[in-house]
Amino acid sequence: MSRASSDVAAVRSLVGFGAVSLVGTVFAFAGALAAMLAADPWLTLWALAPYPALVLLAKRFNAVVNQRAQATQEQLGVLSARVQEYIAGMSVVRAYTLEPRASADFASANREYLRRSLALARTQASFAPLMGLIAGVGTLVLLWAGGKAVVDGRLSLGALVAFNGYLAYLTWPTIALGWTLSIVRRGLTSMARIQEITGARSDEREEQIGLGTTMPLSTSMRPLWEPAPGTVFVGERDVTRLPRGALRVMLGYVPQEGFLFSRSIAENITLGREDADAARVREAAVAAGVADETDGFLAGFDTVVGERGLTLSGGQRQRVALARALVGRPPILVLDDPFASVDASKEEEIAGNLRALAQGRTVLLMTHRLRAAQLADRVVVLDAGRVVEQGRHEDLVGARGLYARLWRVQQLEEEIARA
Amino acid sequence: MPDVGHEFDDRLGRAFDRRLVARLWHAARPHRSLIAASLVLFPLISAVELAQPYLMKVAIDNHILKADWLGLTWIVALYVGVLVLLYALHWLEAYLMNLTGQRVIHDLRAALFGHLLRLEAAFFDRNPVGRLMTRVLGDVEAVSEAFTSGLFAVVADVITLAGVVGVMLWLDWHLALVTFSIVPALFVAAGYFRLRARDAYRRVRQRLAHLNGLLQESLQGMAVIQLFARERYEAERFREANGAYHRAVFASTSYDFFLYASVEALGSIAVAVLLWYGGGEIIAGAVSFGVLVAFIQYTNRFFLPIRDLGAKYTVMQSAMASSERIFGLLDRPPAIVSVGRATARDQESRAPAVELQGVWFAYEDEAWVLRDCSLSVAAGERVALVGPTGEGKSTIARLLNRSYEAQRGRVLVDGVDVREWNVARLRRHVGIIFQDTLLFTGTVEENLKLGVDGAVAPADLARAVETARAAAFVAALPRGLDEALGERGANVSHGQRQLLAIARALVYNPAVLVLDEATSSVDAESEALIREAMSGLLAGRTSLTIAHRLSTVQHADRILVLHRGRIHEEGSHAALLRRGGLYARLTELQAGPSAA
Repeated sequence: MSRASSDVAAVRSLVGFGAVSLVGTVFAFAGALAAMLAADPWLTLWALAPYPALVLLAKRFNAVVNQRAQATQEQLGVLSARVQEYIAGMSVVRAYTLEPRASADFASANREYLRRSLALARTQASFAPLMGLIAGVGTLVLLWAGGKAVVDGRLSLGALVAFNGYLAYLTWPTIALGWTLSIVRRGLTSMARIQEITGARSDEREEQIGLGTTMPLSTSMRPLWEPAPGTVFVGERDVTRLPRGALRVMLGYVPQEGFLFSRSIAENITLGREDADAARVREAAVAAGVADETDGFLAGFDTVVGERGLTLSGGQRQRVALARALVGRPPILVLDDPFASVDASKEEEIAGNLRALAQGRTVLLMTHRLRAAQLADRVVVLDAGRVVEQGRHEDLVGARGLYARLWRVQQLEEEIARA
Repeated sequence: MPDVGHEFDDRLGRAFDRRLVARLWHAARPHRSLIAASLVLFPLISAVELAQPYLMKVAIDNHILKADWLGLTWIVALYVGVLVLLYALHWLEAYLMNLTGQRVIHDLRAALFGHLLRLEAAFFDRNPVGRLMTRVLGDVEAVSEAFTSGLFAVVADVITLAGVVGVMLWLDWHLALVTFSIVPALFVAAGYFRLRARDAYRRVRQRLAHLNGLLQESLQGMAVIQLFARERYEAERFREANGAYHRAVFASTSYDFFLYASVEALGSIAVAVLLWYGGGEIIAGAVSFGVLVAFIQYTNRFFLPIRDLGAKYTVMQSAMASSERIFGLLDRPPAIVSVGRATARDQESRAPAVELQGVWFAYEDEAWVLRDCSLSVAAGERVALVGPTGEGKSTIARLLNRSYEAQRGRVLVDGVDVREWNVARLRRHVGIIFQDTLLFTGTVEENLKLGVDGAVAPADLARAVETARAAAFVAALPRGLDEALGERGANVSHGQRQLLAIARALVYNPAVLVLDEATSSVDAESEALIREAMSGLLAGRTSLTIAHRLSTVQHADRILVLHRGRIHEEGSHAALLRRGGLYARLTELQAGPSAA
């Protein structure tokens, strides 16, 4: 994210400030030079004589400033690494009473940062008044050479004053020249990087395709993790041949983490499906067991949740995500470990809902909590990406295989929790 | 309890807050001689700057028009002197302002970091590292800007403006008043566009915050978005927010440039008026040509500061917002302060080495982690604390060195309540060793001598490394004990890291050792080494081991089983296994599904 924004900012200065400044510089030089040459070519030469030296001087200063700015940045990096290290390791700092050492460490890095900042400031301080100096030297030469021309009667006083005006007009573009060029250079580099990213998308997609076969069915719906054709089917149809919209109508999917957007509950349930009206939203919420709580909120289904709104509990989030899957009335429901982040009492509650939801539906439940698997008509046991066992819960427990061992472990856990 | 402000904090209030400026002044006080020097420089610089147009006037009126070549050369020489002087003064001014700003923020950084070191552990649970780093390193930069290009620059501008007005009135008050006739229009235009620009800028910040929030959310929820095929819908939302931001930026920039352009235009009008009126006066002989030329140049200097006022306003606004956050953090008092003076007793005391008496503790509100928990470890005893994960085993360690404070009940060390201990002495007495510890940037030796004041004899260091079974791998490092560790240092494996932590504990040599065992597992070979090192560390020492893996606790004198916030079972390994309770189940569970 940071790289994206800094590159975008660099391009923005290129097309914004950089371009305007470059064009402005060209016009300023062209216009002022033409006017000056028309008035008096000889005096023009005199007045511009110090400019090349000053441009070189500015460039030299700029190089030193850049070098010192880099040294300052490096030290800032050191300083921030120290701060980060000590803040992140605060528990160790406390346990070993490292506060004095941390202070001293920070102080030395802080002092060095001050020293480098001041070295930079000294150079910058001599760089900034350069503009006044350039303007001054121009005026000086003009006053002396031009003044003599006026005294000698070769130049009118008006022309001299006009000349002074033109010179003042040229001061800023001269100073800005080096700066403008560096903005242009940086902007072009960033532009190239941005084009790299925007052009890379299609390749990434191809790379990911090979992974598909080991992915569970749920992920087949993700465009990035596509299974190989002829390996995953829904209702006898190859998922890779199905349009994704159609797949969504058939499959209701509930991911492990019920991710909610900072929007209203209704919007979170429809997630942009314009065909779902308020009645459909309510129906889905009722089925997911979240309707009553939602009615209890101040703004009901219009209550904004998430970062900028009401914070919901893990179980509530899970149920809103469930409602989101149900709003399209899918014939198949895929649940990716809905018990992953809920406690035992919530597990009971969600399992209860599932029983009702399974009416007239195909349900594929992925879980590591075997108590919930008891509800299923058939249990499929996966180990290292392969199906190792399948059958009814009771049969598998009797079979003394992996499932039976996992069942024993979970019983132990329950016993410990109950103790 | 309030925290220290959010990253996307988009409040941007006043550019001048008396309360905050007073505090900034207080922070700058130690450098007041520098500030005084700057304040002396300002009028000096203004005077020298304003001498330039005047010299031009003298050159034209007294020398060029009178064909006095020699006199002109003198003026030119004087002009050279003025230029050199001005350059030197400007350099001094810029350097002094930077010096002041940088020194003030150097002090502020030190104060902030020092304050963070005093704050209690609970504070760091609520405030992410990134946010605190922004306070210490980011916000202070905005404050330094207030010195270099905010407040001071405004003062310098005001002095220059006053000087320009004064000189113009002195040269020719008729002409000056004619020039100033444009000022009301200037103020109206500046005021109007400034106001609009400020509102527009506020909208920019709001919309940027909105855009950032949307972007962050979309990235986090990308899986859901793709799953539900809502890419186009989300892209549309983003496009709208992006467009709104673009329009706000455009409006804000437009006002800035309107202001800029209108000031420039008014400046040109002022010059035109000058030429028209002044030209007439010259013809009438009331004004000299040189005065008119000088006036044109003074007029330019008059408009410049007004044009740049907007930029300074913005600098001050963000400096105020940043200093509010900085002082907000500095004002937050530490919740745990060391008022006690108690230290370890000299004589052999009969009291338990550490003891919890009916302790209740919650990290948040009423979510009790410990409920009426009591335990004690006698001097010389080796005790292990076990229990299901997430039951607050490590919490007990944090209470013992007073990183956190119990809400109810008492925590005693050496028979004395921890609140009566001197905190530094307490932490020297009860050493909490995180076996899965982090290494600080520095050499191996520096990392081993953490928290030990004064020198450690090389022989002692070598013995500790030897006992911790770390000698072999340290010897294998290219520079041995002088090898650099940490972020940019050598790569140390997980197992080696734990050995170093054990060696560190041996060097620290606390009276009571509280060992928070590593949760992560290592390979079998390292495991064996670590176990040997641990028995070397625990030998003959009062210790409380917080065990996350049960394999290491069997040799403890006594095992405590923590469950539901209190001690559920206790006894030796064999006795607890015989009892067939929670400990027996935990042991079976840890063996895993493969062994069941």
